[in-house]
Amino acid sequence: MNRRRQNQKNRNPRSRRRGARKQDRELMLMSFPALLWYGIFCYLPLFGIFFAFKTFTPRPGESLIRNLFVNSPWAGFRNFTFLFKSSELQGILFNTLFYNLIFLVLGIVIPVMLAVVLAELHSRFFSGLVQMVMILPYFLSWVIVGYCLYGFLATNEGQVNHLLSLFGAAGIQWYQSPQYWRVILILVELWKSSGYAMIIYLCAITAIDRTLYEGAKLDGASFWQRVRFITLPMLRPTIATIFILRTGSLLASDFGLFYQVPMDSNSLQPVTQTLDVYVYKALMTQANFGFSAAASFLQNVVGCILLILTNMVVRRIDEDSSLI
Amino acid sequence: MEKKKMNNRRIKTVRSREISWKYMRSLVVFLFLLAIAAAASCGCGRHKDDTTLRWVTYSASGAAMDAKEVIEAANQISREKIGVEVELEFQPSDKMNLMMASGEYYDMVFTSSWLNVFDKRAQAGMYYDITDLVREETPALYESVGKYWDCAKIDGRIMGVPILKDMGASQMFRFNADYFEGKKGMEIPERMDGLQSLEPFLKAYKEDYPDQYPLAMDKGGIPGYLNFVERIAGGIIVIPYEQETELPQAMAIWDCEALMERYRLLHRWYQAGYIHPDAATIDSTDADKSIPVRFGVAWKGYMGYSNPAQWGYNVKVSTYEGPFLSRQSEQGAMFGICAACSRERAAQCLKYIELLSTDRKFRDILAYGIEGKHYRYLENGTVLQTQTGLNRYPANLYTTGSVVNASVASISEEIVSDPDQWKKVFAEYDTDGIYSKTRGFYYDTTRKEDIIAALQAIYSDYATELRTGTSDPDVVIPKMRKRMEAAGFDELLEDVQNQLKEWMERGEDEQAQTESEEP
Repeated sequence: MNRRRQNQKNRNPRSRRRGARKQDRELMLMSFPALLWYGIFCYLPLFGIFFAFKTFTPRPGESLIRNLFVNSPWAGFRNFTFLFKSSELQGILFNTLFYNLIFLVLGIVIPVMLAVVLAELHSRFFSGLVQMVMILPYFLSWVIVGYCLYGFLATNEGQVNHLLSLFGAAGIQWYQSPQYWRVILILVELWKSSGYAMIIYLCAITAIDRTLYEGAKLDGASFWQRVRFITLPMLRPTIATIFILRTGSLLASDFGLFYQVPMDSNSLQPVTQTLDVYVYKALMTQANFGFSAAASFLQNVVGCILLILTNMVVRRIDEDSSLI
Repeated sequence: MEKKKMNNRRIKTVRSREISWKYMRSLVVFLFLLAIAAAASCGCGRHKDDTTLRWVTYSASGAAMDAKEVIEAANQISREKIGVEVELEFQPSDKMNLMMASGEYYDMVFTSSWLNVFDKRAQAGMYYDITDLVREETPALYESVGKYWDCAKIDGRIMGVPILKDMGASQMFRFNADYFEGKKGMEIPERMDGLQSLEPFLKAYKEDYPDQYPLAMDKGGIPGYLNFVERIAGGIIVIPYEQETELPQAMAIWDCEALMERYRLLHRWYQAGYIHPDAATIDSTDADKSIPVRFGVAWKGYMGYSNPAQWGYNVKVSTYEGPFLSRQSEQGAMFGICAACSRERAAQCLKYIELLSTDRKFRDILAYGIEGKHYRYLENGTVLQTQTGLNRYPANLYTTGSVVNASVASISEEIVSDPDQWKKVFAEYDTDGIYSKTRGFYYDTTRKEDIIAALQAIYSDYATELRTGTSDPDVVIPKMRKRMEAAGFDELLEDVQNQLKEWMERGEDEQAQTESEEP
């Protein structure tokens, strides 16, 4: 039976409410620092949205609030136009969605696979070692990752070209050859993020009741059957949560991956230009607050809508796995 | 037993209530403090007192270690002489931009054509109009800047103080003289004719070392390679200094034949192996001391490139172009005075700038630090920085006031500079300087900012590989042109041309006016 309905049945309005009130107060107090944090750092700066709709013209010696609300005239949607002026908007959106969809799928499939395999390992030491090695890249900054990759792909000094030359093949000018970079970028992203994402699934798997597996084993279920009929169904809520959260950032892209890792190489632009990279390139010499606010406003609105939509779809399929 | 349990529970609840009250109280206090702190920090804190000026200048890496001590020493003198002190802050560029945008209070600020952009800020009314004030209050300063006031004018009004330094750009080669002159017996003249005159040197080195790349090239390209044209909207539109037409014309980069030729030359060098194949992704070549040919932008007599201790060989410098003087080059460093200042305060700022521009002893403090500790004077009057000075007060001259009025620095006891170099440099500007014909013109970007942003993004997709010679301009530029035209390039160019035309007509009017005023 559905959990929600069960809850409703158990509810005894009077007693529950009185008990809850006292409890709520303490819980509220405990969560107060966090609420305060969110209030100050997440909700208070929301007035910055107005930057997207104003032509920001600050006057010296006056406060930011006054400069924004009084001194700056309304711009309507004029701050958004620069996004659509580019003839390449289609390509930019395609790149952003292409990579994000692949990361969305592979970013779940590969960590889940790794977690399932790792959970089967008997050697504690080895499993710990593997986890550590896999998480490590997550903590490297993109700039460092970019230089590591350069060590492999540099034209003269790079290891890959060195290997190629050992086999008598001609060296490749990697940073001038866009055809390889879709694959390279996907590999780099997965290498960096998979280990960290895996931890969440690994935790979820350890939380599964071991007796289920023992019972299944006694009944003669194979490894694949255990994964298929126990692990994956039990992981479903976790996967759904992460899926929903990640769709929210479908229009956002990791600037470091698409700008630092290809070293801003001009030739690679057709395959590395995502929305964030475009905004950076368009505004780096101008520092126009209105334009950049407009761009991120658009990204966030689209992200929010996508998040709610995905949540609705997930709820249709499986009510327990949805977030709200 | 039962009772004890009950008691225990009661004590527990009482205690937890106490704790929560304590917690509450401390929270309230904390919030109160936070509110006070917030009020104090945004407390629209104007200046501290009437004689201390808040002066914000640029430093990529923040203040030098001994900055506080040095400023103190300068303040002592300035208080004695003009009754004014400064609170000097060194800020990186993003902090400066934020400061300007958030309306933080300051009295003087570093502004220029390349950082905290003067034209944009002055146009927006951020700076004090000093046209009359500077003549009345500080005639000596007014006189010392002379004809260079033009670059600080917006619609005929003076909105900032240009810092006198190298106002033009001399484009230079820096050779490994030990190799080219010593080993190869080639002659390095003081003046060479254009970029292409480098070719025999590159060729000679490449023949000796086929695995090496003789030209220092990183993703920034040759420093100042666009200095021979006026650049508008980030270099997408250019106005060449020398044109066949009577009136200067703004044009697209692809219509500027001299620039296209330059790109072609670089691409030829790239293919010949004079330039590193990964140049477009290399951040800096400074670490590789073996590179025999480097570029520089400086002025006649500049010694900063010639320290053999730094490179491991004797360096010989040769000018191949310039000096070019344009609005951008003259706006290399300026003072802006806050528009919110009162008249008295603006006058104090000007007095302080005047002191920096006329009193050499005083100027040397902010430039080099404290005499005896950070630097000492050599016999010919130049300055030699001590190791302490180089480590603990390595300030850039142009960020702290007039460069011309500061003493000239020598490299070592043996390699001394000419103490009078600036006179010669400015004389050269007057005689040999190549001046842009549109030096007073600035392009008002406000109406076309969205197009410029879109074009900028397209330009940056090609610029690095063009300026490093990596890509073939005859293949790549038509592509770029097609994309730019789709993004509204023609509209921008037309707007630039219209504003340029307006400006020239206004200039003729002004000229006619001054002529009629002076019979």
